Amino acid sequence: MKGRVVLAILIFLGLAQAQEVITLQAWTIGPEEASRTRATNLVAAAEELNKALVAEKAPYRVKVETSFETTNWDNYHRRLLLAFQSNKAPDIVQSAHVDVGTYADGGYLAPLDNYINEYAQFKNVIPTLWNAVTYKGKRWGIPQDTEARPLYFNKTLLAKLGWSQAQIDALPQQIRDGKFTWQDLIKVGQEAVQKGVVKPGYAYWHRPVNGADFFEYYYACGGSLQDSQNGKLVFSKAASLCAYQLLADLVKANLTSKNLLGMSWDNWHNAVSSGEVLFASAGTWTWAQWATQYYPKDHGGYDYLWKNFGFALQPAIKPGGKPVTLSQPQAYMIWSGSKHADLAARLLAMVTQASFDEKHALQSAHLPVLRTTYALPEIKSNEFLQDVAYLLDFTTFQPMSPGWGQYGDSFFRGISAVESGQLSPQDAVGFVAQELSQKLKGDLEVQ
Amino acid sequence: MRRWSVAALFLLPGSLLIVLFFLLPVVLTLVLSATNLSTTTFSHPSWVGWGNYQELLQARFTPLILKNTLKYVILTLFFNVGMGLLLALITAFLPVRLGDAFRALWLLPRITASVVYVLIWQGLAAVAPYGLLSDLTGNSQNWIQQSPWAVVVLANGVIGASFGMLLFTSAIRAIPSDLLHAAAVDGATTWQSIYRVVLPLLRWPILFVSAYQTLSLLTSFEYILLLTNGGPGFYSTEVWSLSAYHQAFSNYFGNAQFGLGSAMAAVLVVIGVVVSLIYLRVFNFKELLGEPKVEVN
Repeated sequence: MKGRVVLAILIFLGLAQAQEVITLQAWTIGPEEASRTRATNLVAAAEELNKALVAEKAPYRVKVETSFETTNWDNYHRRLLLAFQSNKAPDIVQSAHVDVGTYADGGYLAPLDNYINEYAQFKNVIPTLWNAVTYKGKRWGIPQDTEARPLYFNKTLLAKLGWSQAQIDALPQQIRDGKFTWQDLIKVGQEAVQKGVVKPGYAYWHRPVNGADFFEYYYACGGSLQDSQNGKLVFSKAASLCAYQLLADLVKANLTSKNLLGMSWDNWHNAVSSGEVLFASAGTWTWAQWATQYYPKDHGGYDYLWKNFGFALQPAIKPGGKPVTLSQPQAYMIWSGSKHADLAARLLAMVTQASFDEKHALQSAHLPVLRTTYALPEIKSNEFLQDVAYLLDFTTFQPMSPGWGQYGDSFFRGISAVESGQLSPQDAVGFVAQELSQKLKGDLEVQ
Repeated sequence: MRRWSVAALFLLPGSLLIVLFFLLPVVLTLVLSATNLSTTTFSHPSWVGWGNYQELLQARFTPLILKNTLKYVILTLFFNVGMGLLLALITAFLPVRLGDAFRALWLLPRITASVVYVLIWQGLAAVAPYGLLSDLTGNSQNWIQQSPWAVVVLANGVIGASFGMLLFTSAIRAIPSDLLHAAAVDGATTWQSIYRVVLPLLRWPILFVSAYQTLSLLTSFEYILLLTNGGPGFYSTEVWSLSAYHQAFSNYFGNAQFGLGSAMAAVLVVIGVVVSLIYLRVFNFKELLGEPKVEVN
C-alpha cells in the first residue's frame, strides 16, 4: 500500500514536471498608481488562459511576470530602449500609441495583423483606435485604453467669485459651443487674482513637465502636426505663435506662474486638488489619481471631487472657434524578438475583454476601448465616464513619426523659454522652426 | 630581458584596465560618432563621416551650450576650491576633535545619494508652502527656476568643496609647526601666517585640486540633470556633457540619437585633453612633482 502511494506521488510529480510553464514578461507603466490594472489585468487574463489550456489539454501553462513603472515616461522609454537593444526586452510592452512609429521603424515590434484577424475579441475594439496603432499599413499594437484631457475648473472658487450655480453648470456647454474662450478664461482668472480668490499665478495651470497636453493649444490655434498626404511632420509658424502667445499672455496676466514648469507632480496635484487653483488642464485619469493618491483621498474621495470640480473641453481661442482635447491611447505591443509571440498574442486576446476593459476604466478613469464595454451596466451608470465621453468627439492625436520625439522636445523648449521670459513668442517660434528644420531636415514641412 | 618581463608583468593589470575602460570607450565613441545610430536605425546604422560634427557646428545652440559649460566649470571651480580652502583653514586651526566633526558634517552631502541630495534642494527651493526658502523669506517662488545658475553652482560646489577641504587639511597639517612658530616669533599676525606661510606651501595641492576638479566638472552633469534638466527655457543651464546625454539617452517621446551624442562626447574628450595639456604646461607640473621644498619628518 505504502509503495503504491509513493509510486502515485512520483508519477504525479513526474507529470507535473513534464508540464511546461512558459513565462511571459510584460512591462507596463502608469505612471499613476490608479492604472496598475494595465499589469494586473494581464495576470488575471493569464489565469483565464490557463483554464482554457487545461480544457484543451495543452502540455503547457502560461505565467506572466509583470513590472509596473510608477516613476515617469522618460525613465520607462530609456529602460525599454536599452532592453530592446540588448535583446532582453519583455515579450509584451505597453506604451503610448505614438511610440509605435519609432519602435516599428527600429524593428523592435512584431506586426500583429495576423493575430488580430485570428481572434474574435479584437473585433470589438472601437475602429478608430486601430488607426492609432497603424503605421506604414500594418497594425503594431492592441489598444489598451484611451482618454481625453479636460480642463478642470474649481466650482467652489467660481462660486466665491460670485458665479451662480446655473452659470457654473453651464460652463462646459459654453466652452463646447465656443462661447467661452481662452480670452474669457483670462478675464475670469484675472478677476480671481484681483479679488484674492486665488494667489497670483494660481488661476490657470497646465502640466508642470513636457508632454502631449501642450499640443492642445497648437490644435486650438488651427495647427496641424502631420501632412496626411506624405506623412511629413508639419510645423505651422502661425499656430505655434498663437499658442506661445496664449501661454505668454497667461503668465503676463498672472494666471500662470512662470515657475510652473519644473514644479514636482506631487506638489502640482496637491495644490490643484486641494482647491488652490481655479482652472487646470489635465487628463481624465487625473480624476482617479486625485481621488486615490492626493489631497481628496483623505477628504471624501470622489464625493469631494464632484462637489468641488467640474470639467470641460479646452476652450477655443476665439469666439466661435473650435474647442479641443487630445487623446493618447495606450497599446500593448509584442517585441519582435519574443520567442512566444503566438502565446503573447493569445494572452492579449484574452485581456481584450469587456470585463478587464471595464475594470481598468472604472479604476483609472481612462476610457474603454471595446464597444461591448460601453454597454455594461457599471460603465453606463458611471457618471464620470459618461460625462467625459463627448470629449472624444473633439479629440486630436499626436502624429506617428520617428521624428516626433525631437519635435515634441523642441516645441516644449519653446514653451519653457516663453514662460520663463527668456524669449518672446516670436523669437521662440523662430528658434523652434530653425532647430526642427535642422534636425528633421526633409521630414518636416514648415508652414 | 628578464628585467623587462618583470616590468611588463607589473604594468599589465594597470594597462589592461586603461585599455578596457579608457582607450576602448574612446575608440568606440569615435566610431559611433561617425554613424547615424539612433533608436530607429539601431539594426541598420550607416556611416555619416563628419556629418554629426557638421550638425554640431551648425546648430544654433552650440555656442550657448559651450558658454554654459565654461560658466559652469569656472564658477563651480572657484566655489569648490575657495570653499574647500576656507573650510580647511578654519578647521585646521580648530581643536582637532571639533575640526574633524565639522569636516565630517561637510562630507554628508558627498555620501548622500545624488537623487536624495537633489530632493533636499527641491524641498528647500519649492514654492510655498512646500519650500523652506519660500516659507522663510515670505517670497514664494521656485528658487531653482528663478535662479537656476546659483542653485546649480551651489549644489555642485557644496559637494565639491569637501574634496578640496580634505586634501588641503592634510596639506596644512603636513606643514611643520616650526615654520608657523617662527612666523609668530617674527611678529606675523594669523592672517600674515596664512598668507605668507600656509598658502605658498599649499600651491601644489591647490593646483592639483583645480586641475582634477576642472576635468571632473567638464564631464559631470547629474546634479544639473536632476535640478534643472538643462532648463528653464532654451538650454539655459544645459552643459556639454548633459547635452550629449540628452541626445543619446533621454527623449520624452522616444527616438534617441546615439551617433550625435557620441560626437558630442568625442568633442568633450578633445576638450579634456587640451585642458589637461594646458594645466600641465602653465602650472609646470614637472617642477611641482620634483623634490619637496619642505622636509616632512
